Order: sequence, then structure tokens, then C-alpha cells
Amino acid sequence: MAKTIIPIGPFHPLQEEPEYFSLTVEGETVVDVDVELGYNHRGIEKLSESKTYDQVPFVVERICGICSTSHPYAYVKAVEDISGCTIPERAEYIRTIIAEGERIHSHLLWLGLAGHFLGYNTVYMWVWKLREEILDVMEILSGNRNNYAMFKPGGVRRDIREEDIPFVIKKIDSIVKTLDMLKKAILDDPVLHARLKGIGILKREDAIDYSALGPTSRASGVAKDVRKDAPYGAYDKVEWKMIVTEKGDVFDKVVVRVLEVFESISIMKSCLLSLPKGPIDANLADIVPGEGIGVHEAPRGETFHYVRSDGSNRPTRHKVRAPTFMNLPTCKSTVIGAAIADAAIILASIDPCYCCTERLAVCRIDGKRMMNGGELIRLSVEKTEKLKKEMGRR
Amino acid sequence: MKLPKIRELIEAIKALFTGPYTSKFPGKPHVPHKNFRGQPKYDSSKCVGCLACEEICPAGAISHRDEVTLPVPRRIMIHYTDTCIFCGSCEAYCIANNEGIKLSQDWELSFFDRKKESYETIEKELVLCEICGKVIGCKDHLIWIAERIGELAFSNPTLYQTRLKRFGLVDENLISAARDKSRADRFKILCAPCRRAMTKESEPDSEMV
Ligand code: SF4
Ligand code: SF4
Repeated sequence: MAKTIIPIGPFHPLQEEPEYFSLTVEGETVVDVDVELGYNHRGIEKLSESKTYDQVPFVVERICGICSTSHPYAYVKAVEDISGCTIPERAEYIRTIIAEGERIHSHLLWLGLAGHFLGYNTVYMWVWKLREEILDVMEILSGNRNNYAMFKPGGVRRDIREEDIPFVIKKIDSIVKTLDMLKKAILDDPVLHARLKGIGILKREDAIDYSALGPTSRASGVAKDVRKDAPYGAYDKVEWKMIVTEKGDVFDKVVVRVLEVFESISIMKSCLLSLPKGPIDANLADIVPGEGIGVHEAPRGETFHYVRSDGSNRPTRHKVRAPTFMNLPTCKSTVIGAAIADAAIILASIDPCYCCTERLAVCRIDGKRMMNGGELIRLSVEKTEKLKKEMGRR
Repeated sequence: MKLPKIRELIEAIKALFTGPYTSKFPGKPHVPHKNFRGQPKYDSSKCVGCLACEEICPAGAISHRDEVTLPVPRRIMIHYTDTCIFCGSCEAYCIANNEGIKLSQDWELSFFDRKKESYETIEKELVLCEICGKVIGCKDHLIWIAERIGELAFSNPTLYQTRLKRFGLVDENLISAARDKSRADRFKILCAPCRRAMTKESEPDSEMV
């Protein structure tokens, strides 16, 4: 049968971010998939080198509009890794509360979008209505629905006021009730079962091979979660369990996310109830020369930041790796073999964030595309050769 | 199959009575929660014009312009509403007890003409060097420093003269007619380079050191 290429993107009415998928199909079946990114490279790493340590959180907060706390969290952990300071306990709790609030709204956002992708706009409307309430909670806690501006190296910028806590807890409890109904409605809907079960299966071995992260790996039976593996914040001080399912299909990814929302709510609640008293800022002195890494379990998986300091008040190097960077290649194993109609939801099932992933610009030199992996290595080898020659001549 | 449908029906009926979650904006004005971070606003009576907020602003939303040719020289502090990200750093680092600039509840920030309407300004009186005419700082800032360091301020004529002027103890219009550098000039309001030059050159023995 003849092969056809179906392009998705770069400007796609459904997906919010510019990316380009080319699906090679035979009849109804996808036989190959290729991803092209680079439409929205923003030079964040370079930009953050021009900001002071205190200003960088505001830059990295804007890497992703949805996980606007994950990047600052990983960044401040990297800076604290350099300086080796300890964070006041109250600050750790507040960080955990904000991070979990973000996870709730992020998972709900994805759930709504997944419903929309499937043509289930009721799910979309209901879930987003619920998400609205959690955004209101975040506005009370941090002052904004998104871009919370709470993190700074050494602590947090704003305290949670005692008089807000009872209201927030009441609100969270009411969210749990609606969410419970929603969970049942979604998880035992026969149509959703028929649409999502057994499609886009990411096998356990593949999840390990691709180093998939976050809910994508946990749905395939790989129990991987920074919050459990290397606890930070208040994650080892409150009770919660990691959600792991076995099958790895899209339905399991839904299950993992829905159940994680409940876990996040319970983490948030117990942190709010046991919020220790004390200072919220360690008042970090100058950052010593050195390098540090910071990891945080973002809603989509582990976010990784690397910061190098030369003792001045601006980082000399700042590297960011968003979780989608690891999760996106799994489409090679999930989309191939699926029907075209399922491709959209399978691609969306990793909860992709393309703009956050884009770190390297593709240049065209003499009309030729440069800067893929092989070419970078070739360039690097050539440079060494050149240097060798130059030095030998001298 | 039937039970789930009933459950969802109940929710649908409930939603019918509770009404939409969204509000009837703009018909009904939206009142944000009191923790909400809205547009920062200057308080010209509290701000001392030190520019710490300009230095710290991560978005570059604050700038200033020094009008030195006016009869009373002024520093115009400018806050660009369209660039601001409402992070609150300016308030947190404001030296005037975090009161010179404060985040407000104001969130309706749309405007028609970006060039003309997207900023807000306040004016602060400037103190200029009596010799070279360069900007030393805002009057309120020098007074703020003088008050902070207490009697130490009397070691610096720029600081204590500015402070005394406020009480009307020094004739505001008294500017020495003599342009030569003399020891007496050291008691004027001077910028740092002029003060250094003054101290060095008015010293009779300076050549011999
Ligand atoms: S709120 Fe933040 S962005 Fe806005 S003026 Fe203040 S420091 Fe600048
Ligand atoms: S006093 Fe506060 S508001 Fe005024 S310039 Fe200084 S930091 Fe800015």
C-alpha cells in the first residue's frame, strides 16, 4: 500500500504550541513518526545569565505557563546546592504547598484537554470549572492564579497568612467532593474505556529505555518519582503514596493523573495543617563559586536545572531540562502501529510542553540544516582538530 | 451503565441551580482577593527616590529621568504598566519600609495608546552638586540616609546641609559666588568626585604629600 505523510503542525488549531509532527501512514495505521521542534526557541538560558540570582526565578517561571513553580523550584535547589545552605522548615512547607497546588491544576488542565481531544467537551468544561477553584486557592496563597513568584534562593518571598488557611482547607475539601464524582464519571465511562484502553501502550522496557519521566513512566509500571526517590521540601514529612499502574496505555495515564490529584490534595492539606512556625527565608549570602544541580518532580516529570557560579552575582551558566525532553521520544514506541484517529490523544498523553523543551536553535548554513546530534559532534571534532593543528604550529 | 448516568445527571441538575462559576464581568465588577498582586503604585510622600526598585526589577519595568534644567530639579520615577510582571520585588526591596511602591489591587490595566497611557510617574526633588551641577541624589534620599546614620551624618556636609535645609535653617538660595576652590567649599553640597577634588586641591600642602 502507498505511504502517505500527514503533517500535524507547526500551527495546529488544537495544540497550543508550535510543533511539527509528520506521521507516515499506511491506510489507517501510523507506520512512522517524526517530530520537529525549534519554532519557539526563546533563549531562556542566555537570558538568565544576564539576571542576578534573585531575578532568575522570574525568568524561569516563564519557561512554562503551566508548571510555573517547577522551574523556579529546581533552580533555587540548584543555587542552594552551590551555597550548601539549609532552608527554614516553614519555607520548605510553603514550597511544597505551592508545588502541589500547581500539580493539581496542571493535571486537571491536561484532563480537560484530553476530554476535548476526544470530543468529550463535558469533561473539559467540568474539569476546568474545578480547576478554576484551585486557581482561586492559589491566588489566595500566592497572590496570583499563575506565575506565583513565591520562590527565591534561600526561601520563599511571601508567607502564608494563618487567617487564610481555614478558608483554603474548606475550599480544598469541597474540591475533593466534586473531584470524586468526576473521577468516577471518567473512570467508568464505557466510551472512554473503548477509546483509551489498549491504545498508545508504552511498555515497561520502553519506558526504561527512553528514560520516560513522571506520570508517563509511572503509568508503565516504572516507579520513579523524585519526591520519593530523593525527598526534599516536606515530601518526607507527610503521608502520601506514589501512584503506579502497569499497563502503560493512555487510560492508565489518565488513571495515574487523576489519582495523583487526590494525593496532591492530601499533601497540600496536611502541609497546611502542620505548617511549622518560623522564618521563611535563610537570607542567602553571596553565592560562592561552584556548580550545583536541582531537580524537582514537575507535573510532567523530573525537571532538571544546572547552575554554575563564578562568585559574581549572576550565574555564568544555567542549563534547563524540561521533562518533555525525555518523554517526547516515547512517541516512537507508542504512536507507531496506532490508528490515525488515536494519534492526537496518544501524542497528547505525555502531557507535552514543547516550548519548555526547546533549548537549541537549528541554524541553516548555506541552505543546509546544521546542528543535529551528529553534526554537533562533527563540529566539535573539527574544532579539536583545528586547535591541535594551531597549537602544533606554534 | 445506568448508575453513572444518574450520578452525572445529579451533577448537571446541581449545576443548573448553582449557576455558572464565572462571574458576569464586566456587568458585575470583579473584586480580587486582598492577597492579589496587582499593579504597583508609587507613593510620592513615602518614596525617597533611591532607585533600588529600578535596580531590582527583573522585568525592567521601572526607570527614571532626571530633569536638571528645571528651576527645581526633579527626578521622574516611571513605572511601565505594560512591562511589569507584578512580582512584588520592588515592594519587597523598597528601602522606605516597603512603602514607597506598593502592589495594589488594580488589575484593569488595558489602555488604548501604549505610548501615552502605559506608564505612571511620580516626581521627586533632586539635589545637585553646587560645583559641577551633577545629580547627587534625591533630597528625601539624602535626608533618609542622614536620619539612618544619626550623628555620623555631621561628617558629611552634603547630608547634614540637605537635612538642615528642610528645617529652613540654611538659606536655600545661598550659592557661593566665588567659583575658586577653597576650603569653605568643602561645606557645600557636593557630589563625590567634587568633594574628593575639593579636599585634595584646597589642601595647602597637597603638592608636598
Ligand atoms: S512588580 Fe516586579 S516587575 Fe513590576 S515593577 Fe515591581 S519589581 Fe518590576
Ligand atoms: S524608596 Fe522605594 S519606591 Fe522609592 S525609589 Fe527607593 S525603592 Fe523605589
